[in-house]
Amino acid sequence: MNSPDTTLPAPERTHLRLGFVALSDAAPLAVAALRNLGARHGITIELCRQPSWAAVRDKLLSGEIDAAHALYGLVYGVQLGIGGPQADMGVLMVLNRNGQAITLSRPLADAVERGVSVKEALRSLGRPPVIAQTFPTGTHAMWLYYWLAAHGVHPLRDVQSIVIPPPRMADALVEGALDGFCAGEPWHAVAEARGAGRTVAYTSEIWPDHPEKVLACRRDFAALYPNTARALVQTMLDACAWLDASAHRAEIAEALAAPELLGVPHGLIEPRLVAANGGDARALPVRFFDGGAVNYPRVSDGLWFITQYRRWGMLDADIDDTAIAASVNQTALYREAARAAGVALPDERAAATFCDGRVWDGGDGARYLAGFDMRA
Amino acid sequence: MLRVLLVTDTDKPIGDLREQLARMGYEMLAEVAAPSALHAAVESQKPDVVIIDTESPSRDTLEQLAVMNKAAPRPVLMFSNDADQQFIRAAVGAGVTAYSVEGLAPARLAPIIDVALARFAHEAQLRQRLAKVEDELEQRKVIDRAKRLLMDKRGMSENEAYAALRKRAMDQGVKVAEIARQLLALSDLF
Repeated sequence: MNSPDTTLPAPERTHLRLGFVALSDAAPLAVAALRNLGARHGITIELCRQPSWAAVRDKLLSGEIDAAHALYGLVYGVQLGIGGPQADMGVLMVLNRNGQAITLSRPLADAVERGVSVKEALRSLGRPPVIAQTFPTGTHAMWLYYWLAAHGVHPLRDVQSIVIPPPRMADALVEGALDGFCAGEPWHAVAEARGAGRTVAYTSEIWPDHPEKVLACRRDFAALYPNTARALVQTMLDACAWLDASAHRAEIAEALAAPELLGVPHGLIEPRLVAANGGDARALPVRFFDGGAVNYPRVSDGLWFITQYRRWGMLDADIDDTAIAASVNQTALYREAARAAGVALPDERAAATFCDGRVWDGGDGARYLAGFDMRA
Repeated sequence: MLRVLLVTDTDKPIGDLREQLARMGYEMLAEVAAPSALHAAVESQKPDVVIIDTESPSRDTLEQLAVMNKAAPRPVLMFSNDADQQFIRAAVGAGVTAYSVEGLAPARLAPIIDVALARFAHEAQLRQRLAKVEDELEQRKVIDRAKRLLMDKRGMSENEAYAALRKRAMDQGVKVAEIARQLLALSDLF
């Protein structure tokens, strides 16, 4: 990965605007921009911070940004037209795995730590618990729903699930407007520092090494500018590889603290970015590269989100789910970029055992879906 | 009568949009500023239309309602290829986003977006003009301080000091204020 590319066609577009949301796992974009990693691949990157995931979607669709750091599920939600505009979308690569969490208010976290079941603790409130996540079709919604269901709590009937902006979550916990939330970092570290609540589960406990943020674009961007898209994937692979060193993560944590990126104190970003969620032995670390094991846009990862939309009644269209996932995830383009970068390709499928003991092997989505007792 | 909810949780001063819409005969619901209150307001007051700043952090709250509650307003398709696209692009450019209940005819929504668009665009122009004036004022201050520095330390007249700054600026192809800023930064070091 050390010599400049001379054999590949030059990018059709040289300046790219990339959207991101203020989260620790936007680190690869910050690395790419701050270290000007696009130069070797013939592109420059401009970072455009977005105030909401809805804004990320709208600006991708309007062309105001070319690509974005996006929730895996956001891309699929737009592809399927769930609750909003429909457009053909592309997942260019996975940017990270793990690194998200569920925080509960202090009384609930105390109870769970004393050994009270999640179900009993929530029931003890005597009213439907209010638990926030970040976007209706997003990853945090799906992790939260899966986790609640695994604990015998129906996410749609027993809980009021709302969305509020992550920077507001700690305040909302303090004010009693929320009983818990599922989101990315550093917002759990912020909530703990404020004394608002404590992290009770890491998303790597729900699905070890789950896919999280992806590099998303409109599908016509990848089709119209294939060399640009490939150069962008190569650039982001360089950025992700750079982040494998913990010293580099400490360095980027400091850069992320800047007001124009996260605007959160460095001391709250670094612990959960450098080690596995601040050294908690239950959690797997957030992974950005891991020799390339992180980044391949595996079709079966995308298919999993569609199974969950069906499970929770968000999708009932009679469509070929596997074909949809295969058209969204730009595997051929990724392979080309990885080959050029000398990055190894992982297996097409990776079986994982979830927190409820069920195994997703990336095979038959319909049969997997039929195995869930709790559903909408 | 359409029930309209205005979300004002950013610093855009769009308060009198509310009066304008009320005068046009829309039923204006109480404004909402906090995202947690927004969820409750939409569930209990059932607006037909929500107007919100495109840059508002509360937009995802509305997205959740659109997916989970069939009666809640959904994001208005801003990117369709029909004749309205120019108009809608202008709305996006001005920072207006609308959510409306399913089945509401575009013709009924258009006047609301129209007024919001005018209001938002007006404010955007005002803000730009204000920012420009503030910037010019700031530049003048910096240049004055740099001139005084040269007058004090180099015994230059005011005209000579300005001429020196301007010559350096022209040589480097930058603004006089930029040279003044550099000079002041250097003088802070010594």
